[in-house]
Amino acid sequence: MSRGSISLAAILWLVIAFLVLYPLSILLTESFKIAETGGWGIGNFLEFFQDAYYLKTFGNTLFLSTLVLLTTTVFGVPLAYILARYRHWGKTMFTALILLPIVLPAFAGVFAFIIFFGKYGTVNLLLMEIGLVEKPINFIYGLHGLVFIQSLHMLPFIVLGLSAGFTNIDPSFEEAAEVEGASSFRRFFTVTLPLCTPSYMAGAVLVFLWPFTDWLTPMILGQVDFLPSVAYINIAYHFTDMHRKYMGIVSVTVAAIVCITLFLLARRWVEKRKYTGLSKGTTSEGRVIEPGAWVKSGAYAYMVFIAILVLLIPVVLGLAAFSRTWVFEAFPTNWTLENFRLILLESPGLIKNSFLFSGIALIFGIAFGLPVAYLIVRTRVWGKDALDFVITLMLAFPGIAIGVSYLLAFWKDIPLARYWIIMPLALFARRLPYFLRMAHSSYLQLDPSLEEASEVSGAGKIRTFFSISLPLLLKGVLVGVVMFFIMAFQEISTAVFLYKGGWETLPIGIYLNWHRGMEFGIAAAMAFLMIVITFILLLIISRIGGGVLKAAWGAGEK
Amino acid sequence: MAFIEIQNLFKTFKDVVAINHIHLEIKQGEMLTLLGPSGCGKTTTLRCIAGLETPEEGDIVIDSKSMFSQGFVQPSKRGIGMVFQNYAVWPHMKVYNNIVYGLKLQKLSRQKIQEKAQKVLEMVGLVGLENRYPSQLSGGQQQRVALARALVGNPKVLLLDEPLSNLDAKLREELRFEIKSLVRRMGITSVYVTHDQAEAMVISDRIAVMNSGNVVQLGTAQEIYKKPANKFVADFIGTMNFIAGEVVDVLTDTNNVYVKTPFSEKMGCTTPNSTATIGQEVYASIRPEDVEVLTKPPEATENVFKGKIVHKAYLGNFLFFFVNINETMIRVQVPHHLPQKEGQELYVYLNPKKCMILS
Ligand SMILES: Nc1ncnc2c1ncn2[C@@H]1O[C@H](COP(=O)(O)OP(=O)(O)O)[C@@H](O)[C@H]1O
Ligand SMILES: [Mg+2]
Repeated sequence: MSRGSISLAAILWLVIAFLVLYPLSILLTESFKIAETGGWGIGNFLEFFQDAYYLKTFGNTLFLSTLVLLTTTVFGVPLAYILARYRHWGKTMFTALILLPIVLPAFAGVFAFIIFFGKYGTVNLLLMEIGLVEKPINFIYGLHGLVFIQSLHMLPFIVLGLSAGFTNIDPSFEEAAEVEGASSFRRFFTVTLPLCTPSYMAGAVLVFLWPFTDWLTPMILGQVDFLPSVAYINIAYHFTDMHRKYMGIVSVTVAAIVCITLFLLARRWVEKRKYTGLSKGTTSEGRVIEPGAWVKSGAYAYMVFIAILVLLIPVVLGLAAFSRTWVFEAFPTNWTLENFRLILLESPGLIKNSFLFSGIALIFGIAFGLPVAYLIVRTRVWGKDALDFVITLMLAFPGIAIGVSYLLAFWKDIPLARYWIIMPLALFARRLPYFLRMAHSSYLQLDPSLEEASEVSGAGKIRTFFSISLPLLLKGVLVGVVMFFIMAFQEISTAVFLYKGGWETLPIGIYLNWHRGMEFGIAAAMAFLMIVITFILLLIISRIGGGVLKAAWGAGEK
Repeated sequence: MAFIEIQNLFKTFKDVVAINHIHLEIKQGEMLTLLGPSGCGKTTTLRCIAGLETPEEGDIVIDSKSMFSQGFVQPSKRGIGMVFQNYAVWPHMKVYNNIVYGLKLQKLSRQKIQEKAQKVLEMVGLVGLENRYPSQLSGGQQQRVALARALVGNPKVLLLDEPLSNLDAKLREELRFEIKSLVRRMGITSVYVTHDQAEAMVISDRIAVMNSGNVVQLGTAQEIYKKPANKFVADFIGTMNFIAGEVVDVLTDTNNVYVKTPFSEKMGCTTPNSTATIGQEVYASIRPEDVEVLTKPPEATENVFKGKIVHKAYLGNFLFFFVNINETMIRVQVPHHLPQKEGQELYVYLNPKKCMILS
């Protein structure tokens, strides 16, 4: 191992130490600080778990997680099976549509469904109009609405993992069961599904952790008794009430610990159970079935149903964005561009900030991610696996925990949070895995002898990187770049703790306009704008390489 | 004076010893082959010469210049050309750009580069394909690009790592000769890695047979075939019958020994290059083509044994008999006009001069 890679590793570790390890350790130590005495101890945690309210909150969150996982599984298994196994028209389009929520901001869904399914939303108004119901039905405010919205948002994680599993299973496993005389139903439950558990688990753990991360959906639906929402309220609104502040910090810490622990357990479980013959040596299409007419229509109806739910998000937000005072009407009647005029002309700062912060974060991401990928894949530098490990953990780390820890760490001793650079830095730290995974997996696919051939031909390491490695990595790296940008662009959980007047990004603007200002039209227009930008970026990725979402997320799962 | 000297080279990967203190000297202009089964350390040795791996101990001297002990010499500064097992032709560059990549780094004039490229393209037979991308070439053509790229800079040393193993059998034989004559003509000192003994015998001036990180024998193809250093080499190169036994008598002046085997209490053998001691456990070893077949019992009885043909295999220009002698099977190569059938009995003569003891 050369001196060059050692110093490179040292620099990268310094960055991680400063931007990840240091703030997180501050969060952890802070959670052990006793507010009254200024001493240390596990008092806060004891209090948290003895307080009936916080205990209930914790229980609620676990319960919600279970419900969301159940719902996504029940709906996701057939969906994944249809997508992977049935030969049908529009496969690519349906796959893309069903996976769309991954790249849409979580809050966009919440707003769209409130407009559509709310008390005086489109559905209720229509139902009352035709006289089916007298009083509006509560579709959305409550636990059921929460489960619905979070499940739809997380459904892609289950579908992606499972459909990849269904596709990649060596067909001979199932054929063997068929020869033994197992019915197709039996075969599915005794052979197919068990063989897919590792790919299912990889997605399932992220689904289960989402209620420990998502503070915004419960808050907007008026259901605050969940861990992340309570933490957000305690810290964002009651920073001066020491008791509530510390309970908030403990809530964040508990959520983070749950996330990390479950994530690691699932990873270990998956690693141990990777069945051989699952991923390699089969045809890329896997086993494809031509279903009967009835089954086929049923499958279509089901896919269309889910696709419509997903499509409601951009459509409803689009309608709201181009209308004025859309209330108590099933569909808008007053069309206008006023909302966009306000955004573009009166507060262009938000759009500028969003692009600026995400752009700078992206530059950091590339400047950091490429060398890390190089170290991990191509060198034997000491500590590179730990580096990979820490960065991967950020995938499971709640954004709110990062926000809070940055607030605690970069305010007093290192007053970085007073400067706007904190925003891109935080986005960089939070979204790092998205770029790194892509860079990493494309590096893995790059045959080292291509680089060695260049060195033997007389080129140095740096020259080799730029004329051989980079051009060959470009496709994967570009997909990573776009994915990173999309994810940084929609980031709110961390940014919401750090922004100051003038630093608002589009997601923060949406949140403020909706939640505090009740400017639904403007919020919808901003959300619609974000969706349009995301679409354009997605289009770019799909130009770069087919099976985009799969590529981006398949890499993220490992 | 050796052109490449490998001195006491030692390299491990975690707890696997890949190269175990080997010594090798390669003469100027010579083509030396590293031959051995998969995992024996051939590639690692080659990569140490190229500077793509760094050994823990030992040194390599190329053209009187140390590559490791007096500061690590970068691969780019060693004056080598290398052909990789999987071609490693850069897929994003056209054939021409692949070939002139190294020349451009040497800051040669445009004209000079074109001249050299043209010459090497002619040599490897790629004229007319300069503007193709590698994906538009067959495997054999890609291998030629790799070869051209390695040769174009007039390297002092050419390293080839199983360059033909990904090609089909016909093409492999063709390219074997091409590479050999090309390298001969240019007079480049080269190290060739293969696990294919037939390839090694055709292509090399000398062969170094490797086994689990050690060089077990170094010599010309003929020396190694005729006088294998041990059972491993004899088994790896060509086919050999091994008859387990114990030395019972040693005649020091004639190199003759007597071995107690399942065939007889006192079977005559020679020791090719080792000294034998009484009581030593050895294998009396003889090549199938050295076994003589007799249909009638001869007058002399030393080293003549009666056996039964249990299986007969047709191998084109000759036959193989699998002969059972006292429940030990030996393979015998015979001309294919021999009329014997399976189940018939015959006599074999194991000429003591050709029956060597190995361990
Ligand atoms: N990069 C590596 N990491 C770990 N082990 C290796 C590496 N390269 C080679 N080895 C091990 O070293 C031994 C020799 O390998 P190699 O030189 O590639 O053998 P050969 O080329 O003769 O097949 C093998 O046991 C192999 O597993
Ligand atoms: Mg090898």
